[in-house]
Amino acid sequence: MHQTSIQKPVYDYDIVKYFTIGSVIYAIVGFLVGVILALELTFPGLNGDIPYITFGRLRPLHTSAVIFAFGGSVLFATSYYVVQRTCRVRLFSDFLSRFTFWGWNLVVVLVVITYPLGLSQGKEYAEPIWPIDLLITVVWVAYFINYVGTLARRQEPHIYVANWFYLAFIITVALLHIVNNLAIPVNLTDSYPIFSGVQDAMIQWWYGHNAVGFFLTAAFLGLMYYFVPKQAERPVYSYRLSIVHFWALAFMYIWAGPHHLHYTALPDWAGTLGATFSIMLLLPSWGGMINGIMTLSGAWHKLRTDPILRFFIASLSFYGMSTFEGPMMSLKSVNALSHYTDWTIGHVHSGALGWVAMVSFGAIYHMVPRLWGVAIHSTTLINLHFWLATIGVVIYIVAMWISGIMQGLMWRAYDSFGNLSYSFAETVAAMHPYYLIRAIGGVVFLAGALVMAYNVYMTIRGANRG
Amino acid sequence: MSDNQEVSTTGHQWDDDEGYPLQEYNNPLPKWWLYTFYATIVWSVIYWILYPAWPVGGDFTKGVLGWSMHKELREELDEANAKKKNVNEQLARMSLQEIAKKNDLLQYSISGGKAIFGDNCAPCHGQGGIGSKAGGFPNLTDDDWLYGGSLETIQETITQGRTGQMPAHLKATGGAFDEAQVNDLTQYVLSFSGRSQDAAANKRGDALFHGDAGCNNCHGDQGNGSLKGTAGGQALPPVGAPNLTDAIWLHGADLVSIRESIAKGRSGVMPAWGKGSKEVGRELDPLAIKQVTLYVHSLGGGR
Repeated sequence: MHQTSIQKPVYDYDIVKYFTIGSVIYAIVGFLVGVILALELTFPGLNGDIPYITFGRLRPLHTSAVIFAFGGSVLFATSYYVVQRTCRVRLFSDFLSRFTFWGWNLVVVLVVITYPLGLSQGKEYAEPIWPIDLLITVVWVAYFINYVGTLARRQEPHIYVANWFYLAFIITVALLHIVNNLAIPVNLTDSYPIFSGVQDAMIQWWYGHNAVGFFLTAAFLGLMYYFVPKQAERPVYSYRLSIVHFWALAFMYIWAGPHHLHYTALPDWAGTLGATFSIMLLLPSWGGMINGIMTLSGAWHKLRTDPILRFFIASLSFYGMSTFEGPMMSLKSVNALSHYTDWTIGHVHSGALGWVAMVSFGAIYHMVPRLWGVAIHSTTLINLHFWLATIGVVIYIVAMWISGIMQGLMWRAYDSFGNLSYSFAETVAAMHPYYLIRAIGGVVFLAGALVMAYNVYMTIRGANRG
Repeated sequence: MSDNQEVSTTGHQWDDDEGYPLQEYNNPLPKWWLYTFYATIVWSVIYWILYPAWPVGGDFTKGVLGWSMHKELREELDEANAKKKNVNEQLARMSLQEIAKKNDLLQYSISGGKAIFGDNCAPCHGQGGIGSKAGGFPNLTDDDWLYGGSLETIQETITQGRTGQMPAHLKATGGAFDEAQVNDLTQYVLSFSGRSQDAAANKRGDALFHGDAGCNNCHGDQGNGSLKGTAGGQALPPVGAPNLTDAIWLHGADLVSIRESIAKGRSGVMPAWGKGSKEVGRELDPLAIKQVTLYVHSLGGGR
């Protein structure tokens, strides 16, 4: 092959190691806060009337910790790993690499300080106050330059598909972040958004939905496109499918945000467009699942011995399920039942735990031995983690499906006289057992992450001693 | 599509470090995938024709069904209100006693009253009206009433609200009596339910109850409350002083709770819900109050 004559480049693995360790730590932090919140919902007295740990302040800390601290670190680690290896060149700038690491972690620290103090913009997944938003912007631009610079200096003639997805993620998240956070500061901690009313709501959900679309879907598909074929040692199933579903996904996703605002002040026509583009998004989303699962076709026997592949196949299954569920929930008639209920929470977690976290675990287990140049400490523990994670997710989402659909049905139940059958408090009481079951699912999932942390720690310790 | 081996790769390769490079097969798009994708597009175009969809100029395409979410809401509300209109007008004209005699109207009112109670009254009185000892909110499911359990009294309580005031008796908290005297009164109150442990204290408490402390002026000479009791043969004012001789205690039945009631006093406020009421920031219309009255009456007083 043509590459064999080229001298092997010296990759910057240190930066990948930093972000990998960060992602393991943030996984535990994020999941732990999630478990605390699940228990606070079950037993509201647990917050002890301490304002800093009330549900309203901890909830954005949980979502930011799992999406941006854990998910973000995974994406920095894997994108830096993948872009170097598929471009056969060191990252564009060691300085920018370190700047993104320390900058991103500073963002996380500032978030951990400000949210419990009640300093928030009040926009879901975009809670950081304006000075932190500016820092995020600077770090993100540095990430973009570093990534595109690496691509530009590549020693390979073609850009591997994983990099398209990572690049789409970097560009779109920059656009979303900047537009949704356009605001006029009035002092160091407060600002007013330049959009108002329903336009502000629409911008917020254009941002919110595409944060899911490009941060949690496109970017992790990029990860999948590298790590699944690498771990399976099989070629990607279809090059053509990867191109078509990439462009279809990128085009369709950006329209789907209005489905978060059905039956609100948002005009009907915007809701229709959001719902129809969500339906048209189903097959482009599934393109990634098909390509991932079909890549394993002919190598199914490896699932018996390789728990890392099991993580990948399970994550793709959860991905397929939640990207089917999402378009269904975007239909007005289904949304009328599901919206504002726990069904939404279940849907989000089948995506976030089942897809994002599981595919990330697989990538971490794939990278760690290669980064530190030793075998993994224990394959048995990877297998244990796989089962804890899978059982935890299933307990969680089944509890939320039952609780959410029950909640929606109770809200709309009328008696024969045309009066509401249940008061709000009665629906809350009915959900209580499912809240407890959900918390148990969360504890099991968290236990799996602790097993991973131990395994990764022992692997690195072994490498340092060896 | 299952047989990968027949298909060639694109010829591109990346990352051969571990001896297995990344490659891509030249498989075509799966047919079922492509046709289902087309089907979702066709479905969407049909949806756009039927429903409001595309912004054009300053307006938007309305859709051939003429559907809008506001129209749907108006129609559903109109339909629901039309069903209730006749019966609601009937209820508005009738007295509580008249409604109570007609079972279909009574059941209708109880059903509506339960819904209104759940959203407005249950935060204090609990689901189903079981009350709360911790907050001193009366249980509405028993036959023990502070102001009366008849339909008319319940309606009055809801419309005008009630304020129950048990004064403090201990000097330290603004009263006129010392620790020992408060202990004596506590022993005497316990004696109504046969629980006094100290005969001497009980006797001193008796004297205070009917003397300097004047408890009998509200709770009655026999301690059976302002509703049933008398003082010197006279009926008592309707101040909502609880019956101390039964097993129902608004703020707790134990010695410590009772002593606390005497020493520091208690204050219970039932806000007014009638027209123009500002106490809870919202008001219930007379028909809603009628329905809640019939519902509350059905819990305990009506049995």
